[in-house]
Amino acid sequence: MTHDRLQPLNLPQPVQVQLDSKGLPLSISPHAFVSFHHSADSERQREMRASENKLRPVAAVIEVWRVDDEWWRQPISRRYVEVVLEGGRHVVLYEDLNTGDWYIQRI
Amino acid sequence: MTGSNKQRPKYERGAGIAARTLRSELAVCLWFPQFALHCELQRHHDFAARPTAVLAAEDARRLWQVSPIARRAGVKPSMTVSQAVGLCPSLSLWEADPVHYDEQFSNLLVVLSDVSPVIEPAELGRVYIGVDGMEQLHGSPQQQVDIIQQIVATWRQTGGGQEMPASSVRLGWGRGKFTAWVAATRAKPGAVVIISDEERADFTASQPVALLQMDPDIHRRLWQLGIRQLSDLARLPELAVVSQFGKTGHRLWSLAAGEIVNPVVGREMPEPIVATIDFPNPVADHGILAHALDRLIERALRHPRRAGWRILEVQARAQQENSASWMITAILKDPTAHRDHIAEPLKVRLGHTPPTRPVETLTVEFTMFVRGTDELQLFARDANSSARAGRRCALRTALREIRARYRHSGLYQIVEVQPRSRLLERRYALIDYDP
Repeated sequence: MTHDRLQPLNLPQPVQVQLDSKGLPLSISPHAFVSFHHSADSERQREMRASENKLRPVAAVIEVWRVDDEWWRQPISRRYVEVVLEGGRHVVLYEDLNTGDWYIQRI
Repeated sequence: MTGSNKQRPKYERGAGIAARTLRSELAVCLWFPQFALHCELQRHHDFAARPTAVLAAEDARRLWQVSPIARRAGVKPSMTVSQAVGLCPSLSLWEADPVHYDEQFSNLLVVLSDVSPVIEPAELGRVYIGVDGMEQLHGSPQQQVDIIQQIVATWRQTGGGQEMPASSVRLGWGRGKFTAWVAATRAKPGAVVIISDEERADFTASQPVALLQMDPDIHRRLWQLGIRQLSDLARLPELAVVSQFGKTGHRLWSLAAGEIVNPVVGREMPEPIVATIDFPNPVADHGILAHALDRLIERALRHPRRAGWRILEVQARAQQENSASWMITAILKDPTAHRDHIAEPLKVRLGHTPPTRPVETLTVEFTMFVRGTDELQLFARDANSSARAGRRCALRTALREIRARYRHSGLYQIVEVQPRSRLLERRYALIDYDP
């Protein structure tokens, strides 16, 4: 087995998030799912993708937590929110507290 | 340099099991540290200037052999992958491929058998060569090791260890395996240390006791007793050491005091293995002959004498109608004990130069052998590692086919990097899978 280089898995993908008054996600934008699909999709997969490309409301917020790390080099400060989307899909979103950008990751 | 034979020590018990002609008191230890790592660098040339490491065969989360560049970054053997990557993010890792290492080492043993019939592999990358009587053939010990170095250089040039730096081989010459081994450990990379009989006692006396292979507990006790060098151990009364450490103590004291010489014990190559079939009616059909070759190879492989050996050269011959004969020979590039790999070159030759008349009797003979994987004791000792090696072999074949079709395999393996990290993207990573 050769490792040219390690390629990190589950890299965060940028996502647009609509927030409620408490700062919790109400819905996430369609392109959040693009990276989870392969290019060689079948017709049915394309249909499924089109349906997923609609705005995805958040059905429930499971957990919220904060991570502050690596203050000694490039500080990392994130507010994570684990949510269930309508349809039952679990995802983890986080807000980069240094930039205000939102990202999505799988669990 | 060989010195006189006065006060010749007695042999270690059990050393005389092999035939007399395959035992040698004078030994050369050829030591190739980091053999597995060098095997990998041989396959991946462009990694020579990068920090690299080979993962342990039994626990793929830990490192086994580490390149000097990686060591300079603080990476050490036995570290976990996550620790190592934390210290050296550019570290490249290879999963251990014991079958490949054993094949490479077996090929080295084959070329060394041109120097001496008395060859004893000790572990992967370390082999003893019996050199009794070589004075008359090749001259002084220095000339003997020169011959061995030339043989190793030839092995490297012919593909065995092409990318392995010559400087990584160390040689030790001395009476008995222990002296030769200690000499090799004291040799600089690419150099040789020759210990004559006159120097032997002083040389071994000044060495640390850690060179004796022993239980860590015994080593700790010796350390607590203030015994640092072999001379310290040899100075103690033998009975006192035996009463403390039993049979092991006797062996350790005898080696430290130079009381025993453990000779190199070679192993006789098996006699050729023959399998024959008589056809009731002469056969001219290519398909039937190819099928018969398969059956004969299977039968020859099952021969008890074949156990522990792989086939290097195979011969097929036939008695044709009207007493005409036919013969083909194949030298296998990669010695194997796999039926299809042995049969393949024979079938190709059968297609190119088939028997000219119908065949009455067909014979397959294994004529040359190399030591099998199971003889090299580091790996494949247990069923699990054998199964792993088998799976890897199947994967390698599948990958070769995928690459031939798509130019790249597109296969990856998931490894733990920092499985407990609070940042999800740091927990796991993909690596190219190339078994």
